[in-house]
Amino acid sequence: MGGHSKAEWNLLLPVLAMVSFPGIRMFMGFEAIESAFLIVAVPLLIFPAILIIGQMNKGEDWWKDQLKEGGIVALAGLMITLSLTVWLIVEFLVHHADFGAQGIILDWIHFEVLGANGEWVTSTLSFGLWIDSVSLTVLFVAAFLCFLICWFAIGYMTTDHQNEDRNHRFFAEFVLFSMGMFGMVLADSFLWLFIFWEIMGLCSYLLIGFYWEKPSAAAAAKKAFLTTRVGDVFLMVGLFMLYDLYHSLEFAVIFGDPTLGGTIQGSDLQWPLILMFIGCVGKSAQFPLHVWLPDAMEGPTPVSALIHAATMVNAGLYLVARMFPIFSEASFEGALSDVAMLIAWIGGITAFMAAFIAFVANDIKRVLAYSTMSQLAYIFTGLGAACWFANEGYEKYAILAFGAALFHLFNHAMAKAMLFMSSGSVIHEMHHAHEHAHGDGDEGDHHHFDPQDMRNMGGLASKMPVTSTAMMLGSMSIIGIPLIGGFWSKEGIVGQAWNVYLKGGEMILFPALLVLATAGMTGFYMSRMWFMTFAGAPKTEVVDHVHEDTQWIKTPLITLSIVTAFSGFILACGHFVKWLAKPDDAHFMTDLLKHPVDAILYELEHAFLPEDNTLKVVGWTAILLSSCLGPFIAARLHGGKLKEGEVATPMVGWLVNLSGKAGKTDVSELAEGGFATALHNRLYIDDAYEWMISKTLLPLANISAWIDKNWVDGVIKGIERGSQWISTWLRQFTTGRASDYLLMTAIGMLIFVGILWGVI
Amino acid sequence: MNLGNLFSGPDMASGLMPEWILVLGIIAMIVVPNIGNATFRLPIPGKSWRIPYLIGGKRFALTGDPRLPKAIAAFTLFASFITALLSQIIDSGVGVAETCIAIAEGSVEVGSNWCGKDATVLKVDAFSRLMEMIFTAALLLAVLANWDRLPATAVNRIPTKKQHDEGVESRRLHRLLNNRRQVDFSLLILMVALGMSTVALSTNLFMLFVGLELASMASYVLISFNKETEVGPEAGVKYFIVGSVASAVGLYGLSMLYIWNGDLSISSLASAWAAGPNGMAIIGLGMMLVAFGFKVSAVPFHFAAPDAYAGASSPVAGVLSTASKGMGFVALMRVLIGVTLIDGGSEWTILIGAVAAVTMTWGNIAALGSRNPKRMLAYSSVAHAGYMLAGIAAIGALGPGDGSQLIATALIFHLVVLVAFKLGAFLVISLLECDNDRGNQLEHYYGLARRDPLIAISMMVFMLALAGVPPLSGFLSKLMMVSGIISSTVGDVSGATLSDAMGSLSWVFWLAILIFINSAISLFYYLRICVVMFFEETDRMAVPRASMIRITIMLCTMGAVVFGFGPLADVLALAANDAALALFG
Repeated sequence: MGGHSKAEWNLLLPVLAMVSFPGIRMFMGFEAIESAFLIVAVPLLIFPAILIIGQMNKGEDWWKDQLKEGGIVALAGLMITLSLTVWLIVEFLVHHADFGAQGIILDWIHFEVLGANGEWVTSTLSFGLWIDSVSLTVLFVAAFLCFLICWFAIGYMTTDHQNEDRNHRFFAEFVLFSMGMFGMVLADSFLWLFIFWEIMGLCSYLLIGFYWEKPSAAAAAKKAFLTTRVGDVFLMVGLFMLYDLYHSLEFAVIFGDPTLGGTIQGSDLQWPLILMFIGCVGKSAQFPLHVWLPDAMEGPTPVSALIHAATMVNAGLYLVARMFPIFSEASFEGALSDVAMLIAWIGGITAFMAAFIAFVANDIKRVLAYSTMSQLAYIFTGLGAACWFANEGYEKYAILAFGAALFHLFNHAMAKAMLFMSSGSVIHEMHHAHEHAHGDGDEGDHHHFDPQDMRNMGGLASKMPVTSTAMMLGSMSIIGIPLIGGFWSKEGIVGQAWNVYLKGGEMILFPALLVLATAGMTGFYMSRMWFMTFAGAPKTEVVDHVHEDTQWIKTPLITLSIVTAFSGFILACGHFVKWLAKPDDAHFMTDLLKHPVDAILYELEHAFLPEDNTLKVVGWTAILLSSCLGPFIAARLHGGKLKEGEVATPMVGWLVNLSGKAGKTDVSELAEGGFATALHNRLYIDDAYEWMISKTLLPLANISAWIDKNWVDGVIKGIERGSQWISTWLRQFTTGRASDYLLMTAIGMLIFVGILWGVI
Repeated sequence: MNLGNLFSGPDMASGLMPEWILVLGIIAMIVVPNIGNATFRLPIPGKSWRIPYLIGGKRFALTGDPRLPKAIAAFTLFASFITALLSQIIDSGVGVAETCIAIAEGSVEVGSNWCGKDATVLKVDAFSRLMEMIFTAALLLAVLANWDRLPATAVNRIPTKKQHDEGVESRRLHRLLNNRRQVDFSLLILMVALGMSTVALSTNLFMLFVGLELASMASYVLISFNKETEVGPEAGVKYFIVGSVASAVGLYGLSMLYIWNGDLSISSLASAWAAGPNGMAIIGLGMMLVAFGFKVSAVPFHFAAPDAYAGASSPVAGVLSTASKGMGFVALMRVLIGVTLIDGGSEWTILIGAVAAVTMTWGNIAALGSRNPKRMLAYSSVAHAGYMLAGIAAIGALGPGDGSQLIATALIFHLVVLVAFKLGAFLVISLLECDNDRGNQLEHYYGLARRDPLIAISMMVFMLALAGVPPLSGFLSKLMMVSGIISSTVGDVSGATLSDAMGSLSWVFWLAILIFINSAISLFYYLRICVVMFFEETDRMAVPRASMIRITIMLCTMGAVVFGFGPLADVLALAANDAALALFG
């Protein structure tokens, strides 16, 4: 690309200029907190701008070359939000303050609602900000990743000619999606949280169905929308119940005093919380509402990264984390532990099931999709454990589990965004290589070749050094190789899940066992994916034509590689886990800067040598399973040296060579067995749903369609015809003759006087 | 001297400043366009000494300019509006500025100490000032929209100087170019303004009636100003006949009140009414309600209104449906709230409630079938009168108090924002009429969004505001009214079960429900306009340029939006609240 790429880089100058935005606001005398609403407002303004300008100017050269069909505009907007977010975080850290509720930004309407007890209760529709360590963490994840994914998308989307002249739609929806996430994280009431939540639901539908002309994409979009809708209905009912209890959905009211002056018992909250959790299950693709997520891979790869790492699936986690203060209310002690246990169980089942299905997936993106489900399930297990501890009064452990869960959210998001982008890079280059090798015109051949199928790859390590390195680091973080990224948080989650068992929550034994086993399974399927893609001899000749040369794609990968490799360690040693739950007395980062050795040793000791002996065993089992046994089996099955003459970069070469030494096992018999077929069919859960729907919902839908057509429409049409008739009849009194009008006036006068006379 | 005293000081000149400006404007309108080079030859034999006396003769270029009368009218109305506004926002140092003009023992007395006394005829307060602002603003917009049009037909532009010199325009146009026609129009507009202002100020029913008739007479002529067309004169004459009968009935009722009480000042009538009216007073009240009912086009006195609106030029129709209607409501409020409102249910409550229910339903249902947007807007205006009458009925049921004040605030607020979206809608029609009178069929609106997106969006804003869709201003006024009615009627509900509670509800509550139902019905015809604008195909070309009409449309659009929510809506709501306080005294 050479000279061309320099021109491309120049496009970034206006984007970089946006870094100064917080500086300008600061110069104007605003506080960070006063500018926080812009994090939502800026994308909200950019969304229609891209859409309208793009629709009017699509195909113009300046729009395509200078603005990348809106990509540069979106990137600039996301740069503003990212820099504002960083400013906010810095302010938050420097002042060590819990910003909490930030007052009302948009105060619109006050209205009165008749309560159940016959009293009028004033309600308001106003939007404010709620900022604490949890929302800041999720906000940073969203802002940072949205920015990088948008960067990546500029390279990925605009170089594919099938997207030409409709990328503005992509970028506009992308920005709206980001806005939904930012707004949801910053909202200070469950009502606004729900509104932004639904905006995200809409955007996921639009983006998954971006290639709407493909029937599979359209079906996947519909499936994602409808499945999450099932959860959302429950969530909505849960919110209604919550409102009925508190007469408000504002965090300040609910978290300020969860008992509402002692009038609310813990048992009252059980059902609202469970219903709200079902909403989270839908949004975060947990069993049994997980079926939409693998199909959502039909969207463009940046969308996969956006939905599965940066935004949407984190929404469900965020909502559960938001419920945490209710669980930790002292007077509810013990009343809500069943809810916490339910959360942990759903997490454990999903983690195990998804990891199992990932064993046999051959589509590189589907492996990642199942891995997402599995990892999110880890976080749910952790949150379940945290809620249990909180509700049972073990504050110390609750903090550890809560922090570990959210820390895993951070680590997983960073690694998974990078993995999706890497897979996008692989798919993109495979696709181009295939076109290069076989020519563009041959449509029939085009359809036979699947650039996402790992069985067509192999040996890419030498062809794609950056991508293979990034993917290796990401996989390591997900697996939990000691000291890298996800290790810190996953150890915490598994350990705390077992700790619940030790502290008397016997019910958790099953999910705790499952997450422990899943640790090893994660090691297997992530390694399998990497080895199948990058190690061994090439399985098709297309691989020989692969080059890694799209500049926009590499930069985010390199950035995230660095983040993934080091952030886990640094944050863990900076007491990130404690800071998440108790930002006031965690000494976040300050300890690490003042006494680096002490802080590191402290955290290392806690991670590797916990005080309790059982936990020590559990921890080391997890490490052994995930970083030794799993990868070893994967290497035996799928690893191998590269083709003669191909040399991988030293960063990944050692791993390729190591996998070559692991030996070979043939498992083709097992891979064709009944169990593998069941896994290929996703344990028949989708089929079961389909069968159920076809037997129950569809006949019902047909009946109601008939009623709608014949009765409802009939009534509506009747009303329309009737009102038109009445209208015509009424208007015939307006004869146009003044004498008639005078008669009417006289009659009116008589009626007036008559009524008044009659009253006395 | 304090600057505020200039506009609302306790003397004749500043207290009635907006009205003085209107009077001066009328004088200027008569004199200035007639200034020419007329001379008078001194009757000295043999000499031809001529003394120029300037009135008549060949007029100068400036005074003969057909735009001049509009300029004078616009300037006068603007100055009047601004002085009324300034008198409210500049602090005169004496708190809420109230000045009263009284006629006591044959001499005119001025001062705030006369307020509340029977001798008072005019009262300057927050209510009257706000009403003056509504009236002058509506008329000003109408004048601006007609700025470079011939008032006879909206189709024809005023020829430029060049065209005039070259004789390009037809003879008919040349005749119309005579600025006398423009003077007539502008003069009538100023007369309307003066009459309306008088209505707003008067605290004596006789004075009120004089103002009402001054404005009405001028508006009858304005309606039939399109004398070249077929419908214009007919509409004007019909409106005049029905209107004059209604006025006669009202005057008869007024005379009965006078016989009963011997004094027509509101304060005197109010104290007499509180002591208990006799049959003659009741009949007199009923007959006055006929006159005012015609002004606000309540059923069954509304019949001439759709004809009049359809026949009048669109800006005039817009004035009729906003300022003129506002004047009718001022009169209604003066009589019903100022005189006859008593605790525990006024006599007229049932009557007004029934009229409100019939009026809003009739208006909406009749509008459903109208395919002429002008008639549709006329019926919609009838429906809006019904909503406001419902508010007045609620006030009557509640008696004086906070709830009543809230509803009055909503009524006043509605009268203000009505100027933005009702007049704006008529101005859009006016814009389309510039293209060969094509604005009176639904088909003329087909594909407007493609022909002129900005105008189509403005029209959509007006329609949605009329329907009361949030966050536009029409929503806020309707919300305030409905919530006022509901909260003050439901406040004293009691009963163990729901059915008991429903049974104990005041019937006024159901008026609020009826407003809801009617709003739903009205959405049909408002949205139909939006639908044809956006979804129907047409082969018509671009909309006429007509820059002044466009500017006024944009002003109205802004008004419809900014008064919907945000700081300006708050300011206006506060002003309306002040006015309501002043009204209740």
